[in-house]
Amino acid sequence: MPRFDTLNAAWMVWDGPAPAPEEKVLEQTRELDRFLAEIERRAFRMAQVALRDPDDALDVVQDAMLKLARSYATRPSAEWRPLFYRILENGIRDLQRRRSVRKRFMTWLPGSKEDPDNEARDPLDNVADTGLAVPEKLMQDQAMQTLEISLRELPARQREAFMLRNFEGLDVAETATAMGCSEGSVKTHYSRAVHTLRERLGEVW
Amino acid sequence: MSLEQHDLEQRSRALFHDSVDGVDMAMRSRLTRARYAALEAAGRPGPRGWFARNPLWTPAAGVTAAAVLAAALWFGTPLGQLGSVDHHGAVTADSVANLEDLDLVASTDEGSGDAMEMLQDDIDFYAWADKAAGAEPAA
Repeated sequence: MPRFDTLNAAWMVWDGPAPAPEEKVLEQTRELDRFLAEIERRAFRMAQVALRDPDDALDVVQDAMLKLARSYATRPSAEWRPLFYRILENGIRDLQRRRSVRKRFMTWLPGSKEDPDNEARDPLDNVADTGLAVPEKLMQDQAMQTLEISLRELPARQREAFMLRNFEGLDVAETATAMGCSEGSVKTHYSRAVHTLRERLGEVW
Repeated sequence: MSLEQHDLEQRSRALFHDSVDGVDMAMRSRLTRARYAALEAAGRPGPRGWFARNPLWTPAAGVTAAAVLAAALWFGTPLGQLGSVDHHGAVTADSVANLEDLDLVASTDEGSGDAMEMLQDDIDFYAWADKAAGAEPAA
C-alpha cells in the first residue's frame, strides 16, 4: 500500500474528485441558509396547525432544519424542499405518537389527569398579535381559526397532502416524496381532504 | 375542478399566507436563532446515544426496548381493562386503544433510528412513571 507524506499527495494520486474547496462549502451553506429562511415561517405555521403548541412546532422545525443540514446539504438544492417536509412531517408524527403513548400511560397512574399538553386550548391563543384590531383582520383570524380546526380534524395523511399541495405549493411528485407514498395516494388524500373541507367550511365561509 | 373547490383552495391559501405574515417578531427571532443553530450544528458531529455509536447494538437494542415497552403496556394495565371482552363478545375500546399504542410504537420508520431516539428521549419519563405507579398502586 503506498504511503503519502501529505494529504495533497494522496489526492494527487487518487483519481476521484478533489475535496470541496472552502469557498464551495461556504456558498452551499449560504444557499441552505437562504432556503431555510424562505421556508421557515411557513413550516412553522404548518407544524403549529398540526401540533397546536407553538413551542412544539418550533422544536420540530428546528429538528428538521438540523437533519436537513446534516444529512442532505450536499444534495441538489431542488431536492431540499420535499426532503425538508418529509423530515418535518416525520417529526410531527413522532411527536403525536409520543403524546398518544404518554397520554395512555398517564391514565394508568393513580390520580392522573389529562395531559395538560393535550387539552383543548382556546384557538384564539394561537392568533398572532399584530396590533391591528380592525374588523376585517378579526374576521380573517376567525376564518383561519376555523380552517385550522377543520384541518386538525382531518386524518393526518389528508391534512399533510392538503397543506403540502395547497399551502406550500408542492406538485404531486414532490408531495409524494415528502409524504413517502405514491403519487396516486397523494391525489386520493388530497381529493378527500378537499371534499371534507368543503363540507365543513361550506356553511361558515 | 369545480368553482367551489377552486374557491376553497384560493381562500385557504390566502388565509394561511396571511397567518404566516402574522407570525410575531418574537417567534421570527426564535426561528432565525433555530436556523443559525441548525446550520452551525450541522458542521459538527452530532451528539448521539451510545447505541448509535455502536451500530451493531442498535437493532438488538431496538427490539429489546420495544419488547419491554410492549410488555409494560400489556401487563401494566389494570386488570379488566386490557383485552377485555364485554358480555356480547365485543372487544372493548380500552383494549383497542392499547393495541393502537403498540402499533404506534411498532410503526415508527425502520432504520431511521427514530424509534430508539423516541425511547431514549422518554426513558426518564417512563422510569419516573414506573416508580410512581409502583409506589402508589391505583385504587
